[in-house]
Amino acid sequence: MNKHLIATALAAAFLAAPLAATAGEAELMARIEKMAAELEQLKAELKASVKKTEAVEQRQQAIAAAAPAPAPVAAAPATEPAVAASAPSTIFGAYGEINYNRPTKNASGSQADVRRAVIGVEHRFDQKTKMVAEFEWEHAVVSADDKGESEVEQLYVEREFGNGLRSKVGLYLIPMGLLNTNHEPTAYYGVERNFVETAIIPSTWREVGVSLSGDTAGGLTWDTGVTTGFDLGKWDAAGGDGRESPLGSIHQEGQQAKSRDLSVHAALNWRGVPGLLVGGSVFTGKAGHKADGFTANDARITMVDLHTRYTPGRWDLSALYARGQISNTEALNETLVGNPTPVPKSFAGWYTQAAYRLMEVGDYTLSPFVRYEQFNTAKSYAAVPQGLGVAASPDEKVTTVGANLKVGEGVVLKADYQKFKEDKSRDRLNLGMGFSY
Amino acid sequence: MRYRHLIPLAACAAGAPAFAAQYLNAEQAQKLMFPEATAFRQQDLALSLAQMQQVEKLAGLAARSVNWRVVGAYSGDQLLGYMVLDDVIGKFELISYAVGLNPDATVRQIEILTYRESHGGEIRLPAWRHQFAGKSARTGGLTVGDGIANISGATLSCTHLTDGVRRIAAVAQVALKK
Amino acid sequence: MRTPYSRALLLPAALLLASLAACSGGGGSSSAAAPSPTPPVVEAGLSQAAKLGELIFKDQSLSASGKQSCATCHSPDNAHGPTNNLSAQLGGANGDVQGFRAAPSLRYLNQNPAFFFDKDGTPTGGIDRDGRAQSLAEQAERPFVAPHEMANASKQDVVDKLKKAPYVEQFRAQFGAAILDNAEQAFSRMTFALQAFQLEAPEFHPFDSKYDQFLAGKVKLSDQELRGLALFNDPTKGNCIGCHTSARGANGAPPLFTDFTFDNLGVPRNKKLAATADPAYFDLGLCGPDRTDLTARTDLCGAFKVPTLRNVATRQTFFHNGAFDNLKDVVAFYVRRDTNPEEWYPTGADGVVQKFNDLPPEYRKNVNTTEVPYNRQPGMAPALSPSEIDDVVSFLGTLTDGYKSKP
Repeated sequence: MNKHLIATALAAAFLAAPLAATAGEAELMARIEKMAAELEQLKAELKASVKKTEAVEQRQQAIAAAAPAPAPVAAAPATEPAVAASAPSTIFGAYGEINYNRPTKNASGSQADVRRAVIGVEHRFDQKTKMVAEFEWEHAVVSADDKGESEVEQLYVEREFGNGLRSKVGLYLIPMGLLNTNHEPTAYYGVERNFVETAIIPSTWREVGVSLSGDTAGGLTWDTGVTTGFDLGKWDAAGGDGRESPLGSIHQEGQQAKSRDLSVHAALNWRGVPGLLVGGSVFTGKAGHKADGFTANDARITMVDLHTRYTPGRWDLSALYARGQISNTEALNETLVGNPTPVPKSFAGWYTQAAYRLMEVGDYTLSPFVRYEQFNTAKSYAAVPQGLGVAASPDEKVTTVGANLKVGEGVVLKADYQKFKEDKSRDRLNLGMGFSY
Repeated sequence: MRYRHLIPLAACAAGAPAFAAQYLNAEQAQKLMFPEATAFRQQDLALSLAQMQQVEKLAGLAARSVNWRVVGAYSGDQLLGYMVLDDVIGKFELISYAVGLNPDATVRQIEILTYRESHGGEIRLPAWRHQFAGKSARTGGLTVGDGIANISGATLSCTHLTDGVRRIAAVAQVALKK
Repeated sequence: MRTPYSRALLLPAALLLASLAACSGGGGSSSAAAPSPTPPVVEAGLSQAAKLGELIFKDQSLSASGKQSCATCHSPDNAHGPTNNLSAQLGGANGDVQGFRAAPSLRYLNQNPAFFFDKDGTPTGGIDRDGRAQSLAEQAERPFVAPHEMANASKQDVVDKLKKAPYVEQFRAQFGAAILDNAEQAFSRMTFALQAFQLEAPEFHPFDSKYDQFLAGKVKLSDQELRGLALFNDPTKGNCIGCHTSARGANGAPPLFTDFTFDNLGVPRNKKLAATADPAYFDLGLCGPDRTDLTARTDLCGAFKVPTLRNVATRQTFFHNGAFDNLKDVVAFYVRRDTNPEEWYPTGADGVVQKFNDLPPEYRKNVNTTEVPYNRQPGMAPALSPSEIDDVVSFLGTLTDGYKSKP
């Protein structure tokens, strides 16, 4: 078409100016050549521009297709990436601890133990429903002749309603204290979990029940529910378990749990100010289950706790107070006179802890810490006639000094030294390795 | 005019939130961040190798992806800022979030679109999210324990989300800043 | 499907079920059947076999003398134990042959396990003072034919006497018309019936002592009884709880006051037993002479079964050889055996106390001297003072069945 134009122009030029033809002919030819060249260039640019647009369009479409499937695989061991659409997914997690304890005054009591190996499974059925399970092996070998235990630690289904409301049904952890719902070895300082949250608030305390939880705009989370409780019929007054952890010796853990008497729990936690947590909880229920011929059918077990955690900058400060009470133990303890471990009326403990993120080199993080705790598993007893009861024990006071060395995000090496005020034979050095993912 | 740039936005939107875990969709988020904007334009980013290396250096984290979903907010012809969409895994579940950036690559606002973990929902609190405002990859202060406070009981979610914001701030510093 | 085949199975099946049901323990919900001295009133609610067992239990015609039944030595009026203070009861055709061991109470044996060694190697269970019978039925066999007991010549002899009993038709109806034609089978049905009676009848396990009611919070113990309980339980004082369990089980089972294990107490030799006139005679319990399967286990020589302490206050003869006739001496023996051995054992011509004289010298080291309260030496104070001994005896009195609190 262009050539046609040029030709027409030329013809016009020729027709229009026959006299000037000879002299301007060369000039005109040059001009024509130039125009032709420019035309070619324009053609080429147009072609390139079309190509570019096509490329951008393709890229856009590629992005649009890729957007719903997220990229990050580094952080998660997801067996399938969780898609925004309705595809369900199953995720495995695990944590474990291997601990070494060396009593400083009794080297023959040194012990290395695969304290726990835990496998967790989370299966998401759909956007609103998921299942959480956790299985644990303690002390490495489980059999009739060995010391290990294998247990189901959690097994519940969680459903979300609107407005942040959620409900759990099944075997779940009671929301009390700082450690119970957050007990992986990477989550706490020190090789062993602190005594207040193992002896007073039983460690990994779980019950079977139904819970409802939600949050408010102000940063308040509430969590309440009805669950199984304790069984005072299991109290062994001749043994020492009740003195080590009163509630730990009578908890039922969903093991054919007596459920005539159910318990209720309620927890409130406020995280309105970034880095600050203040909260408390309560758990109460009877523990006799109307057992035939049992004198403690009226006994009520109540636990309360108050806790706070503050993490300004490199500091990690926490404090916790917990108290348990068992009412109406007089008649039961009267039948247990003479035994070394009657049922206490109250048991309590508190601790304060400070940790500081001292050094970060690559992905190693060293955090030394110090913790002071005071606890008493037999703080008071109900009165027994003729003074035949057992005296309340003194508070045990433990100071723990040590450090956690975090390797990456999921591995931690720990070392600490614990000094006991009352029973000095328990002073010990601890080393541990833990992981969690 | 082409409407193809709306495809990624539509894909993210997936309709209005039908359950609590999805709190906002991308459209709502961008309106929250730039209420005065009259137009939003898809301006997806593809980083070059050199840019990715710069991002890694600035953020102290792997750049993770070449492509980033970016939306430019305009009032008329004037650029108000950008919104970058991203996802991270908290502990086990996906967190979808958006980072609003000013033209100078400082963080304007962050919004949580989807949060499904049972713990750590407090990252949605305005007080916690406000910690990011005004910071950039240059100023720093975008690390948990060093400018961003942790949420007790949700350390992994906080850390991964903060790392994500820090990465996006670096990407903005390298590739979006005017 | 009423075929003759299934019909024949029904009867033994029902019997099996009945005995199994009875095996599930006595439980606390018993009708407190007051022991009655009148002619046998067969309890309602027992299976047919158990009813027959009761009749056989009380039938004196089944003995050589015609005057001795199970109930003679295991009197229902006295916690199914002996009513006199004889170290060993008399039997035989003329009622003048002395036995070898004190007759025990038959109560609370329904939960007694068969003999076994537990995973620590501790011998546990079995009926009789040496645990030699695996079941109540097996235990019931020997008294019929033992020369010092009912002294029948043989099982046939017993069955012949049964044929003349007033309830023989009931027996045939229960076990088959032709049962008496075979002495072996008939005898085994007799002991089976006796077992059913002991397992099912609430009178053997009423759990209605003052202590049971105290455990349920229904009555209070007296001050002295409560002190006695405290001393009983205290691992540093009486430590009786070491073998005689006093606490409810984790599943709510009432305490049986025995853990069914065996202990060697070194009880003094009892001259009242005629057999001890022979200085070579030693009753060694687990390793013989009555029991014959553990003769190689010489470490167990001298160990006898821990009996239940329920109804102990109804007895007048204590320990396997009836060495003591009152409870106060028994408790005192536990705590003063080692601090004051001269109170219990004869002193030889050389002035040395012949401690553990009912054991041959080579087995005296088997005696338990490590557990509280046996772990003391002469010169030390005994684990319980005289008034504390009285307290424990007073407590033991609360273990007698059939307590009725005063209104």
